[in-house]
Amino acid sequence: MNTGGPGAVLSPLIHLIDDDEAVRTSLALLISTVGLRVQAWPDPQVFMAGFDRQTIGAIVLDVRMPGTSGLTVLDTLMAQGVDQPVIMLTGHGTVEMCRRAFKAGAAEFLEKPVDDEALLEALQNAVRQHVKSRERSQADRHAQDRYAQLSAREREVLGLIVAGLTNKEIGRALDVSPRTVESHRANLFAKLEADSLAQLIRHYAALVEDNP
Amino acid sequence: MRKAQQHRWIGLLLWGLITALGGVALARMELARQREAFETDARIVHRLLSQRVVQHDAVMATLALLQPVPNASQPEQRLTSLYPQILSVQRRDSGASWPDERLRVAETLSRALRRPALADVDFARGRYQLVLAAEPASFALQMDLRAVVPWSEWPMAPETSPVRVSLAYEGQDWVVQSGRLGEGGWRFGFHKHLAADSQPFDVVASRQVGWRELPWAWMLTWASLVAAVLAGWLAWLRQRAARRRAEELLRLGQVARLNTLGELAAGMAHELNQPLTALLANTQACTRLLGEEPPDLPVIRGAMAQAVEQARRASSVVNRLRRAVERPDLAAQLQAVELQQAVRNALYLLEPEFKRREVAPALALPTAPVAVLAEPVALEQIIHNLLMNALQALEQVPVKERQVTVTVQAEGGQGGITVTDSGPGMTDEVLARLFEPFFTTREAGLGLGLSLCETLATGMGGSLKAAQHAPRGAEFRLSLPLAPVAPEGRP
Repeated sequence: MNTGGPGAVLSPLIHLIDDDEAVRTSLALLISTVGLRVQAWPDPQVFMAGFDRQTIGAIVLDVRMPGTSGLTVLDTLMAQGVDQPVIMLTGHGTVEMCRRAFKAGAAEFLEKPVDDEALLEALQNAVRQHVKSRERSQADRHAQDRYAQLSAREREVLGLIVAGLTNKEIGRALDVSPRTVESHRANLFAKLEADSLAQLIRHYAALVEDNP
Repeated sequence: MRKAQQHRWIGLLLWGLITALGGVALARMELARQREAFETDARIVHRLLSQRVVQHDAVMATLALLQPVPNASQPEQRLTSLYPQILSVQRRDSGASWPDERLRVAETLSRALRRPALADVDFARGRYQLVLAAEPASFALQMDLRAVVPWSEWPMAPETSPVRVSLAYEGQDWVVQSGRLGEGGWRFGFHKHLAADSQPFDVVASRQVGWRELPWAWMLTWASLVAAVLAGWLAWLRQRAARRRAEELLRLGQVARLNTLGELAAGMAHELNQPLTALLANTQACTRLLGEEPPDLPVIRGAMAQAVEQARRASSVVNRLRRAVERPDLAAQLQAVELQQAVRNALYLLEPEFKRREVAPALALPTAPVAVLAEPVALEQIIHNLLMNALQALEQVPVKERQVTVTVQAEGGQGGITVTDSGPGMTDEVLARLFEPFFTTREAGLGLGLSLCETLATGMGGSLKAAQHAPRGAEFRLSLPLAPVAPEGRP
């Protein structure tokens, strides 16, 4: 069920899972008032089989549902590596249940009946967080692609630059002239599309450590 | 069950041990008493016989001093009538000689020792002769042992006494009284010289105490006494165990009730939270939509309709829950219950609670039974709750000032129980809200106890009233209609 307007196709999508129809429709209406799109699911099994894992957004999950409990759904989502933040809703939350939910990876834990401010703020935070994490993983992917283009020698030189050595020291370490080092350095800056040493280190230091 | 068996064995073992110890002590006491009595008798016998033989010495000395005048009659012959133990008196005048050689020997000995001497001791016949050498005439007395014994002063009954008494002299034995010396048991002995050198006989007494003479009746009494005490103790243990079980059941019942309440609350929370969530979400969405320009009125209208529907849903949940927990009709289960007994039952169960707070309940129960129409369990629960309430109130005052009074009375067709405490009492505001559900002044209280009591009392056609008690404390009065017939009858 889509309640987003036609102009909101690219706006974040909220998945709402609750077995109670009245709760589903009313929460969907409330969420749509802040311009978020909502897809509501009555059955957690159908939701897990059918939802789009690529879209930016968040998941709102009721803890107490007949059949599959919300906590079980949460565990399954986390095991499958779903990156959308999950907000848990419960009728009567105990400390123990709350602890379990956070431990399992829930982003937020709210009690029913939930106040609009609390729910909408939690959703907006979740969406922001999701966008940021998606951006970060995209940047990581780009850096990996560029790093793959480096030759073996260029990777060696990059490792030593990141370690903080000067051209002269690198030349001595690799038994080549500082001029050769200088040309490798220019090449790898070009291939990695880095403008400065600082940028290079920020984006690629982690990759160098992962690929020694 | 196994514990009861164990108690019985321990009881039996203790009984055996205590009975045996007591029996031995009783036997020893009896033996000591018998020995004492025996020794006293033996000493008396020794003293009596000693006095007699010393008397013989005195008689002879008198004879020697009162030498007969020549040619006079023989006055000494009158002695036999004065002293029955003297069978005959012989006299040897100077120049004459004794008819018997043994008398002569004894006279020689008497002269040497300057005291009477024994001449012829014949215990087989119960006779002996005593000779005193004197000038001019010497005397000899023939004594009868049986008459020597002073029977009138004798400390025992010679025919029936179990004590054997005899006189012994150089291997001869003359039995004064034969007594009864059986086999087995304990034997006491007494052996002492008579206090006269002239008649050196030994008094030999012995006493045999047989098994049959032990104080069996006392021992039996002791055994049954111990058995009775132990049986009482065991009964007390059993009773205590039974009471513990009853208390345990009561506690379990309370826990179960709380659990049920918890389940009910959880169910209620879920059932109510769903419509409340929808209601809240719908109305808050409407508020937001109304702020938009222009507001989407059809959507708002739909949301408001839904909100109304959800409010109805919530109210129907409440109604359904109330019907589900509604009490079965108490009025149909009324029977005649004696208030005094109900009060005693509740006090019995709460005795540990009273003890713990050092409170002794004061009772004012009329002797005539006051029977009311009530459901027994509900009635007991009300009394229990009122007493617990009083006890909890008393925790706030010093031990010395703690008082609980339970009064039972009948008047105007109503039977009443009044529970009064000397606690801090209540403010008027508390008094007004006392029977409201979930109203409590205690930190951990649920606020359901008194509300439940009032519901139960009303359900049974009675009433529960609270009031301040002068000078301090609270007073709760439960009134129930009196039963129309005897306590045993069913209305």
